[in-house]
This record gives sequence, structure tokens and C-alpha cells, in this order.
Amino acid sequence: MATTDLRTGSLERHGLSDEQLRDMFRNMLLQRQLDNRGFQLNRQGKVPFALGSEGHEALQAGAAMAFNRGRDILAPYYRDLGLCLGIGLSPFEILLSIFARAEDHNGGRQFPNHYSSKAAGLMSFSSILAAHLPHAVGAAFSLAYRGETGRAVLATCGDGTTSEGEWHESMNFAAVHKLPFVMLVENNEWAISTPLEKQMAQPEIWKRAAGYGMPGRRFNGFDPIETYAAVNEAMDRARAGEGPTLVEGTCYRYLAHSTDDNDLTYRTREVVQERRKDDPVPAFETVLLERGIMSPEDVTAMRKDVLRETNEATDAAEALPYPEAADLYKHVYEGAWEPWQS
Amino acid sequence: MAIKPEAQSKVPLERHGLTNEQLVAIFRTMLMQRTLENRGFQLNRQGKIPFASASEGHEAVQAGAAMAFERGKDILVPYYRDLGLALGIGLTPYEVLLSLFARAADHSAGRQFPHHYASRRLGLHTISSIIAAQLPHAVGAAFALQYRGEAGRAVLTTFGDGATSEGEWHESVNFAAVHKLPVVFLCENNEWAISTPLSKQMGQPDVFRRAEGYGVPGAAVDGMDPIACYAAVGAAMQRARSGGGPTLVEAKCYRFLSHTTDDDDRTYRSPDEVQARRKDDPVPCFERLLVEHAVLSVEQVEALKRSVLEETNDATDRAEAMAYPDAADLYEKVYAEGWEPWTVQRAQ
Repeated sequence: MATTDLRTGSLERHGLSDEQLRDMFRNMLLQRQLDNRGFQLNRQGKVPFALGSEGHEALQAGAAMAFNRGRDILAPYYRDLGLCLGIGLSPFEILLSIFARAEDHNGGRQFPNHYSSKAAGLMSFSSILAAHLPHAVGAAFSLAYRGETGRAVLATCGDGTTSEGEWHESMNFAAVHKLPFVMLVENNEWAISTPLEKQMAQPEIWKRAAGYGMPGRRFNGFDPIETYAAVNEAMDRARAGEGPTLVEGTCYRYLAHSTDDNDLTYRTREVVQERRKDDPVPAFETVLLERGIMSPEDVTAMRKDVLRETNEATDAAEALPYPEAADLYKHVYEGAWEPWQS
Repeated sequence: MAIKPEAQSKVPLERHGLTNEQLVAIFRTMLMQRTLENRGFQLNRQGKIPFASASEGHEAVQAGAAMAFERGKDILVPYYRDLGLALGIGLTPYEVLLSLFARAADHSAGRQFPHHYASRRLGLHTISSIIAAQLPHAVGAAFALQYRGEAGRAVLTTFGDGATSEGEWHESVNFAAVHKLPVVFLCENNEWAISTPLSKQMGQPDVFRRAEGYGVPGAAVDGMDPIACYAAVGAAMQRARSGGGPTLVEAKCYRFLSHTTDDDDRTYRSPDEVQARRKDDPVPCFERLLVEHAVLSVEQVEALKRSVLEETNDATDRAEAMAYPDAADLYEKVYAEGWEPWTVQRAQ
């Protein structure tokens, strides 16, 4: 796969239509808009917490395009807003989660930005780093065990998670049993306040693949098309029963870890500003404009539409009630079991 | 150095700087390991001890690695199949038998699992039965050496192929790599994790290939060749002592016996498979090499074997004659200052 230069040279589409390219771009715009909305609502005192995925837009929009809705299973981590939007979650559902309203998939009981949707094949999130990977590998094992060919599990994590024992055990187990599993690492160089050089002695996560006996590859996570191609190839391989792949997308975390974090205590504004030149959202916009896939008017209209959708979803979610105290055990135990009854 | 019997006379003796005396010391450790190993199984079958684990097939890697350990400076954090390493760094057969007999005079006062030695004098860390649990401890000890600026010292830690699938293994190797710690990870790959064969343990069969992903050097060595093992572990230890950071060394060997006296390996592998691997048995192979190159005469080998057996017999008799720990000593090596839980309860 040739590296796509987003600004010069020929555009390698990897089979993506104009419509799909526009869909990816809209996902990226929506992701950024919702990210900002989460931070705004937090600073307004309306939501307790939000996570920022700015810098991950291209990677997540590209990976979502490689996900086969209705067949594949997604086991994401907590910084996967764009992936979840890309596989079908609506902005309204995102805002229900952030506002912790009763109508949220988790009844407003999960952490904000921790979605789940049985309809979308979206597994419930874990805040514990790497805890979702044994679950993801278990889901892949069950696909293999039941002979459900043509389906695969896409699991994601950040660079920090690769230092966890569960990451290693999951990778090894998937490799031994040749499971239909794709490990997508979104390497944004920061694990909260820990920089990559204090996380690993060599900076390329994909190089761990050979030690497990599975293919590994690295791609530019600021390029949604290259991301799509790399993840799609790995997912196809998994769906065809050829086993797991480790794919590493390089990106950057532009915001603080979450609304509870102040990144100026561990990195300078200048360092972040310098990396803004690679910001995938304006970069992909330029590509679409230069190739005539979108006109400036199209882009403006799309931005307006994304903002309108975000505003409407915000108002609709905010107007809904919190869960009732009496519903505390609703999504925990089967039936109406409540501990004080026993 | 390949020590295949049929090609032996054509193979030069690559000493890697080892003197005749050191080669003989390595061979004696290997003989002692095997004799003590058999003694553990015998005593178990006689009903005299509850349990013994088996390291037959690991003699060469352990005797070679022990020769690379600097007594009085380095720290050893082994696993439970490291009889030869413990002997090689100075543990006596009597101490080993005190552990097997679980006598009060044992280093752990007879309270630890058999074959789980410990010796502060020798720099021998207490052994964990939990697979890979020793590795964070080993890396912590290496971190302490670095933190205190104790240059010229290193930690040698060992484990089997099964331990490499544990999360703690990964976290330990990664942490050591990030901080460039003075630690050597020696994998004794014997192809069996109790009843799990290597093919069900890993997606590819070479543990040392994981090193690159951590940014540390990795090397594979013939674990049936004690001199090659000495050279590989020695180079890694030297690198660690001089601040060069950790190394992953994989010694390929084989487990000839069952996992322990509690295991029957015929339920998961055939005696034919084991028999076929006996041609690589490091003890007779190294004996032939030493005789071939006149490092030892046939008579000297016989004398060595007799002396090892006598020492084992003597140690067995002495250890068996010692007393079990008293029930009243239960907390002796657990808490400082004679603290006993029932004392506290009474005070309350």
C-alpha cells in the first residue's frame, strides 16, 4: 500500500467512492464538533466529564469505514467517539451518555463517553486500560468456536495500554488460536501525562507483532484513506480465517486527556501548536477541495449541518430526565432482582 | 559448539575463556543436579517428602548460567525449576535437601514449597510458585541497583516458556527496557508448560524474537550446551553490569521428566517422544566432550560421580535426621518482632 500524500501526488482511493470520502469527512467534522461540545458543557457545569479525541478523527473515520455493520464487533476504548459515530451511533446517543440521562443505553449509569449498543455490535466500554482486550479476544474466540466465518472483532487501544499485561495476554492468545481479531493501536504519543519514550524503549508498537507470530503494520493515522486501507486489509484477513493482525496508526492528542486534566502541567502549548500543522480535519478538507470532491460551498453547508445536528441533539438530550434512583439495578441484574429484597 | 556424539571428535572445544577447572566445576554442578533430582523423586516415591519438581534437561543451561553469575555482587531471581542454578551459585546439597524435607533448619524454616530456596548470603531471592510473579520483583531489584547507583551489579532472572504468556512477563520486560535496567531475562524454553506444548503457548516458537518489540537485544542459545549458555548469559550480564540495559536470552532445552512428582506426563506426551530427545541429553554429551578433549579422564569422571553420590547420600541422611519446625514457630519468618496474631486478638 503506497502512502497517500494528502496534499500532493495522485490520490490513492483504495476503492472508496466520492460519497464514502464525504461520509468520512462528515464523521470527522461531527467528531470534532461533539468533542468541543463535551468540553463546553463541562465548563458550563452541565456535564461532569468528557474525553477529548481531537487528533484521532482521521484514524477513527477511516477505521469505521472498514467495519462491516451488522456483522463485525467493535471493542473500543474510551477515546473512540469517531469510531462509534462511524459505525452508526447518533450524536443524540453520544449526548445522552455525556448528560447521563435515563434514556442512555446504559441508563445513564456508565462513565460519560462510554457507549454501548447491541444493535451496532458495540461492546460496553471499560475505563480500566486493556481490560476490554480479553473480552474482545473472547468474542473473537466465540466467533471461531461457533464457526461464524465472515465476521471479525475490531479492538482499539492507545499506546499506554500496550504496556499492560492484559494487552500481551490477549495478543498472544489471539495469535495461538488464529482468532478473527484486529488490534488497532491509536498511538497518540501520550498516555495521560506519560510520553511515549517513557512508555516503551523503542517507539514502534507494530514491531511487537513478529514476537507473537502475527503480521504487523504501521500507517499514518492522520490519513483516513490510508487508515481505511490498513484496517480493511486486516479485517478481511480476520474474516477469512487467516488470524489476527496488529495495526498501529500514528496520530496525536491535541487536547488534555479529559476535562479533568490540565496538559500544561506536563507539555508546553508550543509543542502541541507545532503538531497542529498535521491536524487531519483541515488537511482532509484541503484534499477534498483540491480534488473537486467537495466545493467550498459544500464544505460550509456540511459544517452548518453538523453544527445544527449537534445543537439539536444537545437540546434534545439535555431536556430528558436523569435516571430514577429506583432504577439503580435496572441494567445490572436479570429481571427485577434487587439486593434489598433478598 | 555442537556436541553431537557422532561429530564430537571433529568439533573443537570453544572455551569462551573458561579454564579446565571451571569446565569441571560446570560438569560437577550438572552431575549434582541430576543426582539430587533423582533423589527428590526417590524420596517422594518412598513417601518421605510430599513433592519435588524436576529439572532434568536443564542441567547445561543452569550450570552455564551460574558460571556467569558473580557471587557476592549479582542477584538471582529464579523460578521453581532452577536446582542447578541455585547449586551453581553456592547453595549446598544439604540446603536443597532441607528444603525438600521441609525441616526447621531450612532457610524458610521448612515453611516454603519444596525446591523454593532462598539465601540472602548468596543473593538468591525467594522463589514464587506463581508463574511470572518473580519478574516484577526481579525488575524492582534491578531498579534499586540503578537507583542507588550500584554499578557493576546485575540481576539474573529465569522462567520457563509458559511464563512468557503472562502479563507480568510483558510488563517486566517493558519496564526494564524503558528504564535500561541491569537485568537479564533468561528463558529456559523446555517446550512444555506442564502439559501445554509450545505450539499452544505461542503463535511462533522463538521467545527471543519478542526482544525487538521491547527495544532490547535478544539472543537464542543451545540450552543443551553449557559453554554456549555461559557465553550468552555472561555477555548479557556484562552488558547489564556496565549500564547497557537488559537482554532477553532464550536457551532451548527440554524437560525429560514430568512437571513434578505430582504429574504424569504420559497423559499428554508419549514416552517415545521423550526418548527421541534423550540423544541430546546434556549430561552424557558434556561428559563425552570433556573426555574427548582430555579435560577429564574416564577415571576422573567415575571419581566425580562417586563423590557427587556420596555428598548427596550424606546430605540426605543429615537433612532427614533434622527436626520439623514447631507449630509455635508458624509466624517466625512472617512478621517482625515475634508478632503473633493471637497475641493481638487477646490484647483486644
